[in-house]
Amino acid sequence: MQTSPEGTIRAEEIWKRFRADRRRAQVQDQLQRVTDRVKGRASGRGWRWALRDVELDLQPGSSVGLIGANGSGKTTLLKILTRVMYPTAGNVEVNGRVGALLAISAGIHPNLTGRENILVTGSLMGLPRREVAKRFDEMVAFAELEDAIDRQAKYYSAGMLTRLGFAVAAFLEPDVLLVDEVLAVGDATFQQRCLDRMRYVLSQGTTLVFVSHDLAAVEATCSDGVWLHNGEVVNTGPVREVLSRYRQAVESRAEQQLAVAGRVAVRSVSALPVGDGLVRTDEGLRIELELESDSDYRGWIYVGVSEGTANPIFVVNPGRETPIGAGRTRVSCVLPRTPLPRGRFSLWVGIYDKWTDGEELLGWQPLAQFDVYGPELDRAPRAVVRLSPVYVDSSWSVERA
Amino acid sequence: MSETTSSEAVAFAQTAQRSPTASPAKEGPRPESMFRRRIDPVSALEELWRYREIVISLAERDIRSRYKQALLGFAWALVTPLAFMLVFTLVFTRFAKIDTGGAPYVLFAYLGLIPWTFFNNCVSVGGMSLVNNLALVNKVYCPREHFPLAAMAVAAFDTVMSLAVLIVLFPATGYAPKLETVYVPLLVLVELFFAAGITLLASSVLVYLRDLRYALPLALQIGLFATPVAYGSHTIAKSATAQDVYAAVNPLAPVIDGFRRTVLMGLAPNWTQLLIGAASSVVVLVAGFAVFKKLETGIADIA
Repeated sequence: MQTSPEGTIRAEEIWKRFRADRRRAQVQDQLQRVTDRVKGRASGRGWRWALRDVELDLQPGSSVGLIGANGSGKTTLLKILTRVMYPTAGNVEVNGRVGALLAISAGIHPNLTGRENILVTGSLMGLPRREVAKRFDEMVAFAELEDAIDRQAKYYSAGMLTRLGFAVAAFLEPDVLLVDEVLAVGDATFQQRCLDRMRYVLSQGTTLVFVSHDLAAVEATCSDGVWLHNGEVVNTGPVREVLSRYRQAVESRAEQQLAVAGRVAVRSVSALPVGDGLVRTDEGLRIELELESDSDYRGWIYVGVSEGTANPIFVVNPGRETPIGAGRTRVSCVLPRTPLPRGRFSLWVGIYDKWTDGEELLGWQPLAQFDVYGPELDRAPRAVVRLSPVYVDSSWSVERA
Repeated sequence: MSETTSSEAVAFAQTAQRSPTASPAKEGPRPESMFRRRIDPVSALEELWRYREIVISLAERDIRSRYKQALLGFAWALVTPLAFMLVFTLVFTRFAKIDTGGAPYVLFAYLGLIPWTFFNNCVSVGGMSLVNNLALVNKVYCPREHFPLAAMAVAAFDTVMSLAVLIVLFPATGYAPKLETVYVPLLVLVELFFAAGITLLASSVLVYLRDLRYALPLALQIGLFATPVAYGSHTIAKSATAQDVYAAVNPLAPVIDGFRRTVLMGLAPNWTQLLIGAASSVVVLVAGFAVFKKLETGIADIA
């Protein structure tokens, strides 16, 4: 029957429901439920579908990123793939050894030392003990716990626990690696090394399913994307396409919620090329703001650019106070060389009374989106860009409108 | 944003229930694709064997962590049966006359306490094993039976430790174990079946009815006196038929009785009662396993 090679994931017509009522797992609750059923009363209790008709078909060596808002069913789907949770309906077939990182410190026992924990957690994840012992030094080195390995785990920091947990899972060499949003605890360098390790594991033929709200990390690691919303698959395909549709949906929602009113209001905001045509990478970008104010202020203007609405890329300001008089003021900011790759970006604006701790005249918020055209960056460098600060030259001019 | 999406989901589920006309394809899963629990003992046993190292790891983890925490370490395995033995000896040799079949009461009591303490540890620790390990049960897949089984392995380890007391007790009382001790493995097997059945049952039910865990110690305390630990089984059931019935209800009775008959008195076990107890144990194990398999599918939904 198991003809598919190891590392194949096939999930067909997956449905999962949970009780919508508050369930406390006590005797009286179960009795209540029984009496309700006997009396034929629904009593406002019911079921809530967490996954609705989800399909997933992955070949060995493929990598898929699960994206979607909180509560969209990503973790439920991962739990079903791990076999921790059973689907209400549908077939799941996962071939090969599964390494799962659903919560990094799940298997870590506080009273045991790091060394003992590695041995125990490794065998919990399905690796024979001698195999764990063989990879022990590698794991310890990766987790950077050489000094603390014989200390009890209850004296570890959250970051150390994360490193320990990831090291064990990542060095198991599983056929299928399932990773939930667990890397957020570690510091930036460690996150980067985790992503690198995941890419290495991928290159060894492991199938990867990665859940993260860090869209850049998903994009840098996965080849395909699955966008879940309210338990249904909204979109699947190459990761770039799915991510850009997802970002557009999130951003259009964010703009609907946008309130541009502060003590200084924004009448219009736009990002334009310095010359003719389109905004292009490494060519000029002019950002124009039209402000309206009820009285005279002197404010610090900040303009920022983010990828999606979550990943900030850079912030610029004129480096001095800007007079904002009663009435309308037009502010223009020119970036001689746009340091952005091809893609869609959000433009943020905030205006403050004083330099560092002033009152806000206009709250920091995304106000517009703009597209940049230019060569696409390779995947690996993009993940590196994520961690590197961007230095931007800018020149400014201010005039009364 | 998370709150809006989850409340949307609830609202959608409710409207979906009320209006069966809305897009029939997404109304619910096809009835024939619904997940049904099939209990397949062969593949379950295969999986148990494939993941056998996990039982060892879990048991080792618990033993090591307990050893680290407690000052006396392994000695705690001996303290409970020893304390009960002293209390029983004080009480039952002074205020009640127990027919021990000629053996010293200390040995008589200790031979009852060893199997009882094993059973007690299995059920009290193993019964809570899934509840206490929910964090792990929900994140890492392994056969769920491993958690109660690991607790049983720890209890077995403690029992072996507590056997050391016998090395002192036999010479001290000037009494020697009889040749019929060779029957002991049979008795152990019956006890293992019974303990595994009750432990599997308790561990899975306690996930769903979590407040029952307060009833568990009480039930075990009553069990201590409903089992011939401090006295012989003829104290509980007088006639032979009553003893047969009692063996079916409480398979520990013929087991403990058998320990004393073989080790202390040099008799063969009472075969009728032992067979009844063994049959009852098998029924309990099969039922406990079936209930466990049925209930384990929902464990992750609850926590």
